[in-house]
Amino acid sequence: MIYDVCIIGSGAGGAPIAYELSRAGFRVVVLEKGEYYTEDDFDKDELAVTRRDKFTPPLWEQKHIIHEYKKNGSFMRYDGEEYNWSFWNGSLVGGSSNLMSGYFHRMKPDDFRLRSVYGAIEGANVIDWAISYEELEPYYDKVEKVIGVSGQVVKHTYQEPRSSKDFPYPPLKENKVAQWFDTACFDLGYTPIPTPRAILPYNAQERNGCYYSNFCGSYGCASGAKGSARAALLQKCNAKIIANAFVYKLQSDAKRVTKAYYYSRYGLSHSIEAKMFVVAAQPIESVRLLLNSKNKHYPNGLANSSGELGKNLIFSAGGSGSGRFVFEKLSKKQQKELMEIGVFFNRSLQEWYEYQHNGTTRKGGTIDFLFEHQNIISRVNSEIYDDEGRLIWGEALEKKIYKNITQSRVLTFEVFNDWLPTDLCSIGVDESVQDKFGVNVGLINLYGHPHDLEVGEFLAQKAVGVLEKMGAVDISYSISSAPSPNLVAGGCRFGYDAKTSVLDKNCKAHDVENLYVSDASFMPTGGSVPYTWTIYANSFRVADVIKKELAKEEI
Amino acid sequence: MCIPHGTMSLKRKKGDFLIPFLNRREFLLYSFATSAVFITNGCEVNGITTPLETLSQVQKDLFPKSKTLGINTQHYMRIVLNHPRIDDKTKTFLKNSVAWLNESAYERYQKKYILLNDEHRQKLLHQISTTQWGERWIYKLLSFGFEAMLGDPVYGANINEAGWRWLKFEGGRPRPKKAYL
Ligand SMILES: Cc1cc2nc3c(=O)[nH]c(=O)nc-3n(C[C@H](O)[C@H](O)[C@H](O)COP(=O)(O)OP(=O)(O)OC[C@H]3O[C@@H](n4cnc5c(N)ncnc54)[C@H](O)[C@@H]3O)c2cc1C
Ligand code: SF4
Repeated sequence: MIYDVCIIGSGAGGAPIAYELSRAGFRVVVLEKGEYYTEDDFDKDELAVTRRDKFTPPLWEQKHIIHEYKKNGSFMRYDGEEYNWSFWNGSLVGGSSNLMSGYFHRMKPDDFRLRSVYGAIEGANVIDWAISYEELEPYYDKVEKVIGVSGQVVKHTYQEPRSSKDFPYPPLKENKVAQWFDTACFDLGYTPIPTPRAILPYNAQERNGCYYSNFCGSYGCASGAKGSARAALLQKCNAKIIANAFVYKLQSDAKRVTKAYYYSRYGLSHSIEAKMFVVAAQPIESVRLLLNSKNKHYPNGLANSSGELGKNLIFSAGGSGSGRFVFEKLSKKQQKELMEIGVFFNRSLQEWYEYQHNGTTRKGGTIDFLFEHQNIISRVNSEIYDDEGRLIWGEALEKKIYKNITQSRVLTFEVFNDWLPTDLCSIGVDESVQDKFGVNVGLINLYGHPHDLEVGEFLAQKAVGVLEKMGAVDISYSISSAPSPNLVAGGCRFGYDAKTSVLDKNCKAHDVENLYVSDASFMPTGGSVPYTWTIYANSFRVADVIKKELAKEEI
Repeated sequence: MCIPHGTMSLKRKKGDFLIPFLNRREFLLYSFATSAVFITNGCEVNGITTPLETLSQVQKDLFPKSKTLGINTQHYMRIVLNHPRIDDKTKTFLKNSVAWLNESAYERYQKKYILLNDEHRQKLLHQISTTQWGERWIYKLLSFGFEAMLGDPVYGANINEAGWRWLKFEGGRPRPKKAYL
């Protein structure tokens, strides 16, 4: 059978296309490397999910090689297995969107024209996007409705234009401490923003509402409230999903991809024929697949006549920090409010999405505030060292744990700013290292531009000011160029010029007539927000393009 | 293991390297929990102990509260040493360190660890905590001990949710129906 569309990877980048095309009557197949779990399979087993990494492959079977670069071009080589350094985020139907926390922000209009608005930065390959905010806005709007985004629009300096007045779903239930935050922000002259979430507050769209399970990020959602690609899209369409199908090669002639080859769970090779192929395996794996698909027509990797494939890998720059609220400083009522679990904190600040620095306007970013994850084992583990960095045990440790866990609570913040694209940060394959299937593994070249750290530092200090105002103690933060592997983009830049970009404006490969890449690989810059809303929106946009192309072919 | 925050998962685990695990002496068996670990003082064999026996004593010494709560840490360590999602390096390191601890015990007190009195065992733990392997090992044993104490009761160690009740922890719902082994 020849499918109309074959999609590789079933996450936020792939699923909107499966949903739209299959609902339009096309024959769609999705090849997904991971298992097919549904709501009934998800539980809150901390040991399985976060200690034994149930949803990602073991590093001794599948890993990455990492080269960490310094400014002078020298690098340290790390074998992911040896150094226990994982870049896997979630291998299961629906991808890592099953495990996300669903903190959703749109990019701002100026994020689409970073170069024009903020100018060039030495050592960074900053360019404008091939599309504008206005072109993506209808799709951001669509995501709110189809995936389900809850929140409340508040007026602030950087509020992006919206076609719908408000979110389709009201905010989720909040912990009272969010009001302490609001008061602190108003006193400081800041505008607190209720963080939009890709979570349904009540039953809707044939999905159950959130029941405040207390364990959201990193865990699969047992109700379907979380807007994962599986719950919101794949389970609501009739695209054929083949789980445990690891795609290792795309076969092509000079113009078209003809087949996708995959290994099943048992290592047997199969192939799929289709009219259109869409790659959405998350940037590192998408690029790896294209590089490993090199052939006589594309000796440097499929769709890589430009030599740009794999270049300009980006993550989300910034870091995180925290402060602790201790019972000693609170009334009985406040203590009770503080310890209420399940309900969310959900606050952000975008006050400094741009700011003045030495007389110039600089691009800043977003700060999300949230309670420390409820994972009890990791919270207790974080008590093992004392303030001087010495191991403690016995009674001293017991007292510290008891006090900190039962008589205080930690509020964390996460800073998101642009990870500037550079020549040193890219994706390749390491031909000397293979995974359990015998396929060359991905090579991740890492480099964080010093500018990113300065911006992150600026934002973190603002967050610290808010925590101080709220009365938190033990405030600390870490801004570094360590990448957050789940917030990854770039590697297949889109653009108008086939010599300097891999994909065209519609995320179709310049070189190949029937190949699209619809995860975050297309993004030349990432905005100062987490990416998933933009990934979903862009994938819906690409779905419309493919629909038109297929309709033309049918005529 | 990832360190889940909200959105950012800073999984970089460079602090968790196991590089030193075979450097001290490359003599140990790749065996399971009950197989004997020979304690050497360089040339002669001084005694035999099983990893679980020593691990269990060390974990009691590190976090006695666990015992008073009735946590079955020994049962859990058996799971750890056989778990397909825990890599061989970690398992080997856990066991090698038993031998290294006992070597240190012989060097200092001419007895294996489990035969030392409370004071000597604590002194020895402080001594090894200043070495790279010792610090890492103690950290690992504490954290596996906390996994036993605070993991879901379905794993058979956190009996009657005693660990959770101690910390007034409510867990997340739904709870797992079976252990992930
Ligand atoms: C713990 C956690 C929390 C997060 N929180 C947030 C948040 O709050 N807000 C936010 O915006 N984002 C968040 N994210 C990020 C979000 O999940 C991702 O941005 C999004 O899922 C990316 O979509 P994707 O389709 O590119 O990748 P994925 O959703 O990961 O899907 C890619 C799929 O491709 C499959 N695949 C890979 N290689 C192959 C192959 N060769 N053959 C077949 N299949 C393959 C993978 O198994 C995977 O299922 C979070 C992620 C994690 C892990
Ligand atoms: S029920 Fe709510 S809190 Fe729990 S995983 Fe689903 S969306 Fe998150």
